[in-house]
Amino acid sequence: MSLTNNNSPVESVGALYVHIPFCVQKCAYCDFASSATCADDPAIDAYLASQLSDIRRFAELGLLRECKTAYIGGGTPTILGTKGLMELVGEIRNVCPQLEELTFEANPDTLDDTMLTNASTYGATRVSIGVQSLEDIELKELRRVHDAQTAQNKVRAAVASGLDVSVDLMCAIPEQTDESWQRTLLDVVGMGVDHVSVYPLAIEEGTEFGRLYLGMQPTWNDEEVQARRMIAARDVLEEAGYCRYEVASYAKQGKRCLHNIAYWTGITYLGLGTGAASMLNPRQYELVRSVYCKLPHIHDECPRIRISLLGREVELLSSDQATAEDLMLGMRLVDGVASESVPASTRTKLIEEKLARTEGNRLVPTTRGWLLGNELYGTMWDIAKGEVQTLSW
Amino acid sequence: MSTKTDTSLIRNFSIVAHIDHGKSTISDRILELTHTVAARDMTKQLLDSMDIEQERGITIKSNAVRVMYDADDGNQYQFNLIDTPGHVDFTYEVSRSLAACEGAVLVVDATQGVEAQTVSNALLAMNANLDIVPAINKIDLPSAEPERVREEIEEVLALPADDAVCVSGKTGEGIHDLLESIVYLVSPPEGDASAPTKALILDSYFDAYRGVVATVRVFDGSIRAGMRMVMMAANQPFLCEEVGVKRPLEQPLDELAMGEVGYVVTGLKDPALVKTGDTITLEQNPCAEPCPGYHEAKPMVFTGIFPIDNKYYENLRDALEKLKVNDPSLVWEPETSVALGFGFRVGFLGLLHMEVIKERLEREFDLDLIATSPSVDYHVYKTDGTMIEVTSPQDLPKPENIEHIEEPYLKATVIVPPDYVGAVMQLLIDHRGISTDMVYLSDKSVEMHFDIPLAELILDFFDQLKSRTKGYASLDYEFADYRQSDLVKLDILLSGEEVDALSFIVHKDKAYTLGRGLCDKLKEIIPRQQFEVPIQGAIGNKIISRSTVKAHRKDVLAKCYGGDISRKRKLLEKQKEGKKRMKSIGKVDIPQEAFLAVLKVDDE
Repeated sequence: MSLTNNNSPVESVGALYVHIPFCVQKCAYCDFASSATCADDPAIDAYLASQLSDIRRFAELGLLRECKTAYIGGGTPTILGTKGLMELVGEIRNVCPQLEELTFEANPDTLDDTMLTNASTYGATRVSIGVQSLEDIELKELRRVHDAQTAQNKVRAAVASGLDVSVDLMCAIPEQTDESWQRTLLDVVGMGVDHVSVYPLAIEEGTEFGRLYLGMQPTWNDEEVQARRMIAARDVLEEAGYCRYEVASYAKQGKRCLHNIAYWTGITYLGLGTGAASMLNPRQYELVRSVYCKLPHIHDECPRIRISLLGREVELLSSDQATAEDLMLGMRLVDGVASESVPASTRTKLIEEKLARTEGNRLVPTTRGWLLGNELYGTMWDIAKGEVQTLSW
Repeated sequence: MSTKTDTSLIRNFSIVAHIDHGKSTISDRILELTHTVAARDMTKQLLDSMDIEQERGITIKSNAVRVMYDADDGNQYQFNLIDTPGHVDFTYEVSRSLAACEGAVLVVDATQGVEAQTVSNALLAMNANLDIVPAINKIDLPSAEPERVREEIEEVLALPADDAVCVSGKTGEGIHDLLESIVYLVSPPEGDASAPTKALILDSYFDAYRGVVATVRVFDGSIRAGMRMVMMAANQPFLCEEVGVKRPLEQPLDELAMGEVGYVVTGLKDPALVKTGDTITLEQNPCAEPCPGYHEAKPMVFTGIFPIDNKYYENLRDALEKLKVNDPSLVWEPETSVALGFGFRVGFLGLLHMEVIKERLEREFDLDLIATSPSVDYHVYKTDGTMIEVTSPQDLPKPENIEHIEEPYLKATVIVPPDYVGAVMQLLIDHRGISTDMVYLSDKSVEMHFDIPLAELILDFFDQLKSRTKGYASLDYEFADYRQSDLVKLDILLSGEEVDALSFIVHKDKAYTLGRGLCDKLKEIIPRQQFEVPIQGAIGNKIISRSTVKAHRKDVLAKCYGGDISRKRKLLEKQKEGKKRMKSIGKVDIPQEAFLAVLKVDDE
């Protein structure tokens, strides 16, 4: 009996992520795997071809049979152009019969109307647009390619196209004021988008901002500023009818991002491409390893395996660690976790420190807990015993 | 070296210089040119053997290397190059090293000219009656002005300008001339080869197999293996097991003769018995007088050293014992702190010594340590008529039981260009110094004499002196006496709880300023916590200063690109590691450097 003929659902992941690591220009804050290139770089076509072929092979192995959500992220997926992007969207739709949501990330400068009109035809359901800000001076500081007007035009076009539209925004950035942040939020809401993600800018090593500001705590990125802006975002978005279902995500009724939720709820996912990460069960891992032969063989039984292709690392989590990880990730969601699944001492500590509170039989994060996420998640992760076993290749 | 060197062909000398004028590179060049070390085996600054010495570019231990030099006159000379510690903490060790020499090479940077430390080094050498060979270094640099520097040497130091040799430690140019000058300008040793042995101990180190090995200079008689000898001050007999010289690896010899410098294997297992400055002589036929100038190295600065995690207390004790083997000046006793648990109160020769030891404990023994504010040895006279020595603020009796307190004073000397006299005067006033005398050495340098409490000197005096005089001032000091002072204990409270390890003893007139400064500094050092942390300074029950560490509001919310959870988890683990390196006191996590915050309080 070959593995591919086995119909057991554990063979299939619940979610698929495909990473497109190319951008027209590197943003000043970005530390994710991506390289700046021009849209007609032949390397892009070659990369796309190899991803398509991998997708087909994994589909043949049954890994995508039950896959419910897919996400094409970047980099800048729209750099693929309409033809390339639609080829990828179509292929994913083609091999994932159970797919309920298919998102592609877009940058305003490379998102064109033909893409939007074709996307639903080929099977995409959702577009996530990297707007970040609607103030030209701020966009320039971030080294974004687009200006505010372009972003507005593209968001409006996307909304009109009938796709679900999500917009990414960034706060605590250079030149931003409380007022300009308020304007950006209101403008985005005014355009009728379905979903908004909000992150404070993190100054990371190895980025342009890292070189300029690491360890300097510039006032525009001050933690008080971050807290104020995150709270302002919550107030404006909730007022406009968006529900904050995750620490950084707001959605209109019925428009929560299933793929996003999958990450925080222990659903297995397969990540393809340069910077992708996967979370698999042992059986899925063996299937992936039959294609990616360099992945190390795993001798020990372990319930959860994480792969980072870029870091060339495989992590083996014990059931204990997987449970702690679920609790840690669960606290990113508005519904938190089941109270009874949290050890009493941890629960008491979190409630005492006002990082969490009980709501019925759930332990849910407080606003303070979400602001001090590292304290909250760190306390949950502390429940795990021992170090995570890591293999590299 | 089987043939014995004629005493007239021996030259014993040190190389002294202002910091960064190139003392070590010249030493290395001499080793190379005399074929003592092949060029390919040269590691930079060969004589500084400890990692910390090489990294910081300072010399901590004395070291003596023998090189053989074939001079232009056809004779082969025996040069003993004695490397000396380069810091005021080790002034006594330097004086003992210089006492072993007849000459000194005084290195002056051709681009910088004579600087304060050049003057103080020259004076030290002159006081030790040494023949001085000035060497103008770095003549390869485009900005070198050897002729101007030559004039300065004559004007400021009153040394014959014609004696100065122009060299480049970098290219090796002029090193041959320097060696020739050493032959002609430095006197050969004098002594009585047939008199009872008399040798000065310059330094010692511990060898696990052979016990304590002493570096010595023989003034009279000789030392051979098998001799029954005695250390005069320690009154410690021993059997000489081996003698030899370093070239720079150890090379055993039959004999260390009169005038020579080398090592003596004592076989003694206790390093504390072999003291720098002591005299070695024959047990049965001792010399009449020991070498002059010996005194016990007495710790001047005390600090509490605690493992962050108390389970490493025994490891810390073991580590201290291991370091003491090569550093007998290190002393300690157990200390207990409410805040920090079990640790040791450790005595040091000075601040640099303290820093070096702490760094070695952390680096060589992999310990995470907290050092508390340095203190001096206070004499506390109690109302019951007794006197106790207090080296830790925690041990200070209650004010009502104290009759008066005396603190150690130093006689200190600063040499500085005239332009900075005002700045130094102000610094003295700020640090309770009393000016006693001022001498113009030349129109380029002034020697200022003053008395100052040691406690003031160990806080930030030296750093301030350097910064206020743009690095020109040099400082020397020696213990003077104990004097009565109006001293109080300043306590620090975090979230209302007194943290004993943050207390320190301070002059009453400075308590308010320091209390305020310390509260502000701690506010900078202590990271934001989940809750607001009030910091208060108090004398007795009276709060004299306060500040607040604001509550942590928002931490990093990193985007989990493509579901990369591992990365997020690693960040959380890193954060946890960072917390482990802090000391939790009550609910407050305090970084190591907070306990030394008093050293960083600005005077303004």
